[in-house]
Amino acid sequence: MKITKLYICILYLVTIICSLFFIIDEHYNIATLLILGNAIPGYPLAKSLLEKNEN
Amino acid sequence: MIDEQIYRRFNHTVAACFVIYFLFPQEIFSLSRSWLIVLFWLIVITIEILRFQKRIEIIGLRDYEEKRVAGFVWFASGSCLLLGLYEMDLIPQSFVIGTIIMAAYTDPLIGESSKKWGEKIGIVSGLTCSFVIYQIIIGGYFYPLIGSVIAVAVEKPKIKWFDDDFAMQIFPILVMCILYSYGIGPDLINEGILIKEGI
Repeated sequence: MKITKLYICILYLVTIICSLFFIIDEHYNIATLLILGNAIPGYPLAKSLLEKNEN
Repeated sequence: MIDEQIYRRFNHTVAACFVIYFLFPQEIFSLSRSWLIVLFWLIVITIEILRFQKRIEIIGLRDYEEKRVAGFVWFASGSCLLLGLYEMDLIPQSFVIGTIIMAAYTDPLIGESSKKWGEKIGIVSGLTCSFVIYQIIIGGYFYPLIGSVIAVAVEKPKIKWFDDDFAMQIFPILVMCILYSYGIGPDLINEGILIKEGI
């Protein structure tokens, strides 16, 4: 489970870094798509992980 | 426990980040960046072989994927094929970027919408999503319309030896490329080049 959580963290990091690179290179349309598209499943996933930790 | 459904969806959407490839420099350690595609694909295949040999366990896979090639392998193979064809100057860049992002988002959206609101809403949301993504990346209306219809059409049939993750990338781009090459479709903005050189 720890490996899975680490893997999920890496996925979040990859998304953020990729989006940042596209912003730096002024490809705002691609960056926006990456952020929005990954936020939709990414947010509930992060929420569920945090809730479990609280329990 | 992790919600495997959301986890699987998130894994799917993160695949859109493959387009970062276009920001890589043309040469990395004096090797062409094309080798990265081969290296990445070999890593994916190695993981899949290890999974079949039960040396590693991957969570979030569907039950029917236990004894057949998993979806992530199909998706990675499709993306690698598109990137490789782009490097051979066979496909415009905007088609590749649009198709990878479209396939990464549309497939899980259709699955989620169909599950919650039924198949018709699933198809409509899939069409809308793929059209919007293609429109944002490629521009115009002709290619987005063709691409989105084909992407959603090939998502539906469930064939054991051929996954929709692969089909949703190959078929739309194939048709769009044929239409573009034969001059049936309109010209692309900047000849389809969005990213001229890597960082």
